[in-house]
Amino acid sequence: MKEERCFVKENKKINENYSLMKIKSEYISKNSKPGNFVMVKVSETFDPLLRRPFGIMKSEPPFIWLYFEVVGKGTKLLSNFKKNDKISILGPLGNSLPEFKNKKILMIAGGRGIVPIFCSVHTYSQHNNIFLAYGAKSEKDLNLYEEIKSMKLKKLFLYTDDGSVGKKGFVTSDIKKIINNNNIDITISCGPESMFKTLVKKIEHIRTKNYVSMEALMGCGFGICHSCAVKTKNGDYKQVCTDGPIFKMEDIKW
Amino acid sequence: MVDLSSDLGFIKLKNPVITASGTFGYAEEFQDFFNLDILGAFVLKGIYKDPKPGNSPPRIHETASGLLNSIGLPGPGAKELQKIVKKIHKLTKTPIIINVCGDTDEEYIEVAEIFDKMDEVTMLELNISCPNIKMGGKCPAQDEKHTYKLVNQIKHITSKPLIVKLSPNVNDISSIAISAEEGGADCISLVNTFLGMAVDLDSKKPVFKNLFAGLSGPAIKPLALKLIWEVVQSVHIPVIGIGGIFSGKDVLEFILTGASAVQIGTINIVEPSASVRIIKEIEDIMIKSNIKSLDEIKGKLKI
Repeated sequence: MKEERCFVKENKKINENYSLMKIKSEYISKNSKPGNFVMVKVSETFDPLLRRPFGIMKSEPPFIWLYFEVVGKGTKLLSNFKKNDKISILGPLGNSLPEFKNKKILMIAGGRGIVPIFCSVHTYSQHNNIFLAYGAKSEKDLNLYEEIKSMKLKKLFLYTDDGSVGKKGFVTSDIKKIINNNNIDITISCGPESMFKTLVKKIEHIRTKNYVSMEALMGCGFGICHSCAVKTKNGDYKQVCTDGPIFKMEDIKW
Repeated sequence: MVDLSSDLGFIKLKNPVITASGTFGYAEEFQDFFNLDILGAFVLKGIYKDPKPGNSPPRIHETASGLLNSIGLPGPGAKELQKIVKKIHKLTKTPIIINVCGDTDEEYIEVAEIFDKMDEVTMLELNISCPNIKMGGKCPAQDEKHTYKLVNQIKHITSKPLIVKLSPNVNDISSIAISAEEGGADCISLVNTFLGMAVDLDSKKPVFKNLFAGLSGPAIKPLALKLIWEVVQSVHIPVIGIGGIFSGKDVLEFILTGASAVQIGTINIVEPSASVRIIKEIEDIMIKSNIKSLDEIKGKLKI
């Protein structure tokens, strides 16, 4: 973990709401593992005050890539960074995904939840069979589609809310069927809270091992401010930044 | 060479920069960022006798140049913290300050007694802003008599220097500071966070379940300076200034206003290595302005 002064190499608007930023980061790119995230200072001033958390989409030393949705003031500022701008990044942060070999892994991504999933597909596809279920609002919200199609996937299950591409419905619609038909061993999911809630009801009690990558309102990113608390089944709080962002689905109180 | 040391009377700190409670974890988290030896002192996260889970989320809300928090002092309890303190003491000789909390006066005393016995602990900071369950949620900091009584009781059971940390959410902070001094405080630190509120237009609900939350960050700096000025005029014991400090220049402004040392808080969350930068900035300004020691400017505000 390090506070690294980095340089923006490229900041590309992918569509109306999403940007892809390539950053030169010697330390973080070399030390990050799938599932890790970074805290980015989006302004040199005090406003906004806090860093913003982002999952690392891809890491190829000396570069990392962040893929983000412009949702507020912080991400708007970040989308305005230009090539060669300095940027302060804290990372790599959080736990990482466990290692698996010779497993059938189903990745489940809703909306921008595709980002951390994208990173892990790369890692896992070498020694495992990867299945990806990905849902977005509509075709224009479907991110990284070209990249996804070029990945080493056993099967891709695509959903949009309006049916503009893939099947009409939610990413959770046929999830039980997908798991059973393909003898899935492990699921790894990332998405909005509503997706998790539906998903948990559908798959919590089936035989797969289920992991989730969680988002939370975060202050520091390294465990000192206790802002990003999530409640666990036994009533304790865990911190998304240091105990997570990867949790076993069964440990969290949904 | 400039002299950065800060003399609190009962202890001389190598520089005036102390990291504030609740923003510095249990110190060891910061080892990745800098050598803990560089600090004047550090205050560990506030501690109650028993483990506390903290408040239901959301626990923070960002405001213009500020941060509202309602974390609720989660912690492992005093016994567990004792083990952590022993571990930290092996890492650094920088003075360790324990921020003592309590739901009742009895709990404050019990916690103070536990850490009074530890040689690894240099000072106690009494957090009199904890809601008191026997006083209908009112904290000792809001009442002169309660402040006097609590400080006096703690002072009787400890031989360690006692800092009393004041809340800014009072009508007359000077009278509270005087009560703490009369009760036996060796030092006053201020300010804790200002109570504020945030609302959510979509849900038409307050952001925080507790309705109010504590505001910190650069937004509160002028408010803090004013209260520090008032307290410096009222007491004879040293004052540690706290509130929105983000730079070496901020630190020197607090010293000029009369603070003997400062605590830096919210900046630790944003920039974990801030202490290094701030200490360097103090030194640079002193060299540039030909200030040889902090005493030269301490309380020398020209009115």
